[in-house]
Amino acid sequence: IVPFSFSFSGELYCSLPNPRNVHFESINMKNVLHWSAPEGTGDGVLYKVKYSVYGVGKWIRKPECRNINRTWCDLSIETSDYEEQYYASVKAFLDGMCSDWMETTRFNPLTDTKIGPPALSVSSTEKSISIILTAPEKWKGSPEGESMSLLQVYPGLQYNVSVLNKKTKKRWFFSISNNTLVVPWLEPGTAYCVSAQIYVTTPLLHSGFSEEHCIATLKDK
Amino acid sequence: GPCRVSMSMTEIRSGFTAIKANIQARDPIRTLSILSYPHSLHKVKSSDRCCIAHHLSNFYVDKVFKHCKTEDSYVNRKISSIANSFLSVKRTLAQCHEQNKCMCGQESTEKFKQILANYEGLDVTSAAIKSLGELDILLDWMEKST
Repeated sequence: IVPFSFSFSGELYCSLPNPRNVHFESINMKNVLHWSAPEGTGDGVLYKVKYSVYGVGKWIRKPECRNINRTWCDLSIETSDYEEQYYASVKAFLDGMCSDWMETTRFNPLTDTKIGPPALSVSSTEKSISIILTAPEKWKGSPEGESMSLLQVYPGLQYNVSVLNKKTKKRWFFSISNNTLVVPWLEPGTAYCVSAQIYVTTPLLHSGFSEEHCIATLKDK
Repeated sequence: GPCRVSMSMTEIRSGFTAIKANIQARDPIRTLSILSYPHSLHKVKSSDRCCIAHHLSNFYVDKVFKHCKTEDSYVNRKISSIANSFLSVKRTLAQCHEQNKCMCGQESTEKFKQILANYEGLDVTSAAIKSLGELDILLDWMEKST
């Protein structure tokens, strides 16, 4: 049962339960605010969102996330400067009642984002495999926007590469800083599967491993 | 610059990450930043970075860590291990400063005065906790600068 109360002055009386678990979910600096609906409330709850830059005085409303019934709001544009840190806050409304503003913890895009796996391009000769790795791009507002590789954001970015011999099931691991790797002395006419992950030492971040790219070395002439 | 500091950023980072949410939750003031107000550290000229790093390592050792006692022994242990790492930075940069390899221009002097003014604008405990909560701002800047 949701408590119903209304003050004489017609002012909204904020006794609605609060939105829960208000937090940023960030992948490659696409920063989306998420929350859960207030406890005990069914359909019909609406929300509004505001955000602020840490150290700057004012809260800024997000018009596109005003009176929405979904429980997420994309704040990527507003939080795109990764040299700043941010707070965001959500308020719920239902049947003339409202909740308190519920805030995130301080969000630092540089350390709090998750990094996606690298893209791989693999080619082979008789006895070697060549692998070219590409780090994901930082999220950008529009396709025409300027592209920025996460390599520029994290200069210490490295790649961990795994190479599996499908016949013998033998696996090698390589850790490299540049984006190309040639694996020599392989067996001709043999299938190898490659996958890779991104690894940043400080701040400590790492992606998952990419999907496997399998390729066969050429047969002996 | 000429003075490279072999500082275990990874250690400090992981120490800070472990207590970041706890420390930042103790800082209710959203409208003021010690390190970033009015201008971000990232705006500091490269020639002034060494001097700012020198001043800031002193600042954290002399004015921040010692005023950050909490009721949580785990948090206190993390703070003291971070402080120890900073002590070696302080010593290294002090030597650089003495050997005139860490020049202080007017901009860095002004910037550090502003940081001190931001710090002194709050009571000591609030200022120390806020400064500690901004350690990732310092680390982000130092890593970007190396």
